[in-house]
Amino acid sequence: MASAGSGDEKAAAAAMITLISSDNEKFEVTEATATLSQTIRHMIEDGCTDGGVPLPNVTSKILARVIEYCKKHATAAAGEEGSSSSFSDAAFLEVDRAFLEELEEFDDAFLEVDRATLFDLILAANYLDIKGLLNLTCQKVADSVKGKTPEQIREMYNIVNDLTPEEEAEIRRETQWAFE
Amino acid sequence: MPPRQSGRKGKGAAAAPPQDDRDHIGALPDDALRHVLSFLPAQEAVRTWVLARRWRHLWKASTGLRIACSNGAEAASVKELREFVYHLLLLRGDSPLDTCELEFGDMDEEDVPRVNLWLRHVVMRNVRVLELSSYIWVDGCQAWFQLDDVPLVSQHLTTLKFCGVRFRSSLLDFSSCPALENLEFDYCVFSEAKKISSESLKHMSITDSTFDRGSRIRICTPNLVSPDLCDFWHRTPLLESMPLLVKAFVRLNWACGDECPRAYCNDSNCESCDISDNIGDRIGTNNCCVLLQGLSKAKVLALTSGPRKFILKRDLKWCPTFSKLKTLLLNGYWCTPDDFRPLVCILEHAPVLEKLILQLSSEMPEHEVEIKGSVSPMEGSAAILKHLRIVEIKCEGVNEKILNVLIFLSAFNIRKPTCYTLLHF
Repeated sequence: MASAGSGDEKAAAAAMITLISSDNEKFEVTEATATLSQTIRHMIEDGCTDGGVPLPNVTSKILARVIEYCKKHATAAAGEEGSSSSFSDAAFLEVDRAFLEELEEFDDAFLEVDRATLFDLILAANYLDIKGLLNLTCQKVADSVKGKTPEQIREMYNIVNDLTPEEEAEIRRETQWAFE
Repeated sequence: MPPRQSGRKGKGAAAAPPQDDRDHIGALPDDALRHVLSFLPAQEAVRTWVLARRWRHLWKASTGLRIACSNGAEAASVKELREFVYHLLLLRGDSPLDTCELEFGDMDEEDVPRVNLWLRHVVMRNVRVLELSSYIWVDGCQAWFQLDDVPLVSQHLTTLKFCGVRFRSSLLDFSSCPALENLEFDYCVFSEAKKISSESLKHMSITDSTFDRGSRIRICTPNLVSPDLCDFWHRTPLLESMPLLVKAFVRLNWACGDECPRAYCNDSNCESCDISDNIGDRIGTNNCCVLLQGLSKAKVLALTSGPRKFILKRDLKWCPTFSKLKTLLLNGYWCTPDDFRPLVCILEHAPVLEKLILQLSSEMPEHEVEIKGSVSPMEGSAAILKHLRIVEIKCEGVNEKILNVLIFLSAFNIRKPTCYTLLHF
């Protein structure tokens, strides 16, 4: 943003980054929000975010959700750093607890999405390398298969069993130790 | 391999969910699927090989391992886990590992080196987050798992959590873990250890743990931001300088061994209460501060103690200036009905304090009545408290003790007592 060529006057105001979705929608976010993504952090470090960051793998619908997550968690991280204002209202222990509870509630509500969106979020989090979001979404998928039989999991996620009976028998012998 | 198509479609394809028949999970790249597997208990993760050909080897490189994590149920014994863990670790080969949670219940003597070996192995696989919880029960009491006393060496470890583990000494030197930032001990024993040290550590929590009866352990963590030291047995640890401190929570409950031996002690400064042999002795000074010196750079501080524990009052003899302290939480220990000197002393040494919270109820944070007041600028306010804006008193009900505190505070020019408001919950 320090480069003279950028005609954007707003760039000087604060460290803002423009993200461009696959369907060409622009999202302006603070650097603190954007850098929850390691991928974008590296781009900023390399100085290649002038004129916006194109994200050809992420639709505007998903990018909006990703930004919502990053904003919330970037604010949370700033609060945790101990800016004195966040403690000014109540006993700080209670603030901490309330703060974590609020973040948990946000995460729970954030995950109330249909399966297609959930998987798109995983793809986006994986591509943008946003550790917290990737953990959150992958955990949700893992929870959905926990305790289920292979048959139930296949049914749930339309997984076609393409193993031949011979292969299956072979692997079963190989992994006997896991069934004891 | 065309033959595989014949007759092996499985029920899955036929019973597709009505709303969407895409195989979403199959659209995820392998590394995302490995990450999904990392959140499953290891046994379940391994068994996903049977789903389809693509899944056959995914489990071998899951980014995390959760071995026997019982989620509240009784933890599996090491005996039950042995075969499984050996196969799992060997067959994973050198796949990198990000997180590992290892939890177990009963174990035989011969299993101790086994579990130690597993632990070393996962550290060698560059694990970042490592959690070890042992729930060994002997005669109805929880016993501790003895970790080999050899320092951990890893460029990758950032978070270590231990529960039910006994430490000797060398392992607590984390100088060979330069990325370590978070360290948690819950129900651990440090009885022979002299020192916990790490240059990189930012957050440390020690709860419900046991230190030595005789000598104090030193905590040397110069980059610590938030320590949490709660409810420990025997000697209070000595905190060395922590200039980057932000938020510290220290709670001494009944188990703390630094207790006045007399049931009714008149020495409010606790100068004569200490019967331990080697308090403090900071090198080159006469400063024998155990806790307060190390905590003096905190912005937010909670210091609560059970009665008759002399350590905090004794520390006031060398009370440092809390030059950054904005928020302070204290309990009844600091203002016994007739003696406010400890409270005065600490307030005098907190020149930029903005908020004081007095928790005068039981040791638990729950309270029935809260008295809240804001400090307005008053002419002639004591210079030492010119930044103090808010005083909160949390108590179970307004009794004589609370009234004494209010009278004291008003005398100290903190606040006109008439302006307190009562909030009922």
